[in-house]
Amino acid sequence: MMDGIKLDPASQPVKAPAMKKTISLIVNGFQRSVEVEARTTLLDMVREQFGLTGAKLGCDIQVCGACTLLVDGKPVSACSVLAVDADGCEILTVEGLSAKGKFHPLQEAFMEFGALQCGYCTSGFILTAKALLEEYPRPSEQQIRDYLAGNFCRCGCYQEIMQAVKNVAGS
Amino acid sequence: MKNFDYLEPTTIAQACALLKQHGGEAKVFAGGSHLTILMKQGLYQPKALVNIKKIPELKGIKYDAKEGLTIGALVTHRELETSALVKEKFPVLCEAEKEVANIRVRNMGTVGGNLASGEPLTDLSQIFISLDGKAKITGSNGQRIIPVEELFVDFYTTSLGEDEILTQVVLPPLPARSAIEYIRFSSSSVVDKPSAGVAVRLTLETSSEAVQAARIVLGCVGATPVRARRAEGLIMGKKLTLALAEEAGGIASEECSPTSDLRGSEQYKRAIVGTLVKRTASKAYEQALGNA
Repeated sequence: MMDGIKLDPASQPVKAPAMKKTISLIVNGFQRSVEVEARTTLLDMVREQFGLTGAKLGCDIQVCGACTLLVDGKPVSACSVLAVDADGCEILTVEGLSAKGKFHPLQEAFMEFGALQCGYCTSGFILTAKALLEEYPRPSEQQIRDYLAGNFCRCGCYQEIMQAVKNVAGS
Repeated sequence: MKNFDYLEPTTIAQACALLKQHGGEAKVFAGGSHLTILMKQGLYQPKALVNIKKIPELKGIKYDAKEGLTIGALVTHRELETSALVKEKFPVLCEAEKEVANIRVRNMGTVGGNLASGEPLTDLSQIFISLDGKAKITGSNGQRIIPVEELFVDFYTTSLGEDEILTQVVLPPLPARSAIEYIRFSSSSVVDKPSAGVAVRLTLETSSEAVQAARIVLGCVGATPVRARRAEGLIMGKKLTLALAEEAGGIASEECSPTSDLRGSEQYKRAIVGTLVKRTASKAYEQALGNA
């Protein structure tokens, strides 16, 4: 504080009562407990409190899919899900896909077919594709397109992404 | 996003009491796909969110031969899309749901939230209205049932009271010799909100091929979904020829109030509405003739 200036106690920022909650969830297979503010999004929680930065903030309005995470196996836009709303759920981020240092077949295929350039959308695409293959183990081309239609790749690697997913699906 | 109290009632009565206690400063929270975005943008700054997802009565889809299909407010778009029961009774809903936003929104967003948000750019409301759907609503003063059409008042404004919750949508069984068709038109990508969506339900007379009841519902082209009542009147008691369907489309295009925006100019949307009415009515009529 600068010398000679007295701080008016009334001018001090008043901290609003913290509206916080401790939630329990499974993140990438590990049971975790964490205190979050009610307004914290699931994306902010995994990125900032767990350091899992694979999912990115893109459009912030559930359009682009860069922030896709799997909640109880289903793709959601983590930018628009409240962390408190995921209490008790199982969360999978792209970091949880590889087991014992071995990449998931989808990750291998994305590399093999060059299904990315900048990589910003990649974790969202791979997680959505994982959910697709859990639901439809042998998807048709149309099913893949419908399922992935809400994930955007501004580098335009759609052909390569389709090839990679089709390759893993064996279709 | 401003912080807020996060409340998790487990009964409808508790939820209504919490809403009443906050006197309009609380918002009902379910899937959150609409609410979280508006809260992030600062358009809504509720003091509290009342999460209704822990209320079991609001879940599930069931069918009763007399009452029809009951859809709980918490049923997600994806549940509606993939439900075998819905596919059997109202396949039009499954087809429409396939085109709602994207898989992530369909996983989170609920039927109740879709209606209660008052979002005008949607698909379900016009289909529900064309099927004479009813909305069940509970507030601290008890329950009321209204036609889905009466839910919508203005852009993002519904007739729900501050302490009221939309609990269920009920779609009565489709009468004999009836059919429904829905077509949505998106002017950009497939995952964009529709620039227009038209639902037509026709019921034919038992002993002739004339139209006995018609619902022509226009969505996304005004503050609320609207019934094109003059167009409905035109085809009543008549056999629907292509020329008549086209004429009905022309009338319907004047019965809405689309705004010019990135999804098309006013004139463009009116033209789309005319074409969609012609197509949906023709398809519904053909199908109804085939339905004994």
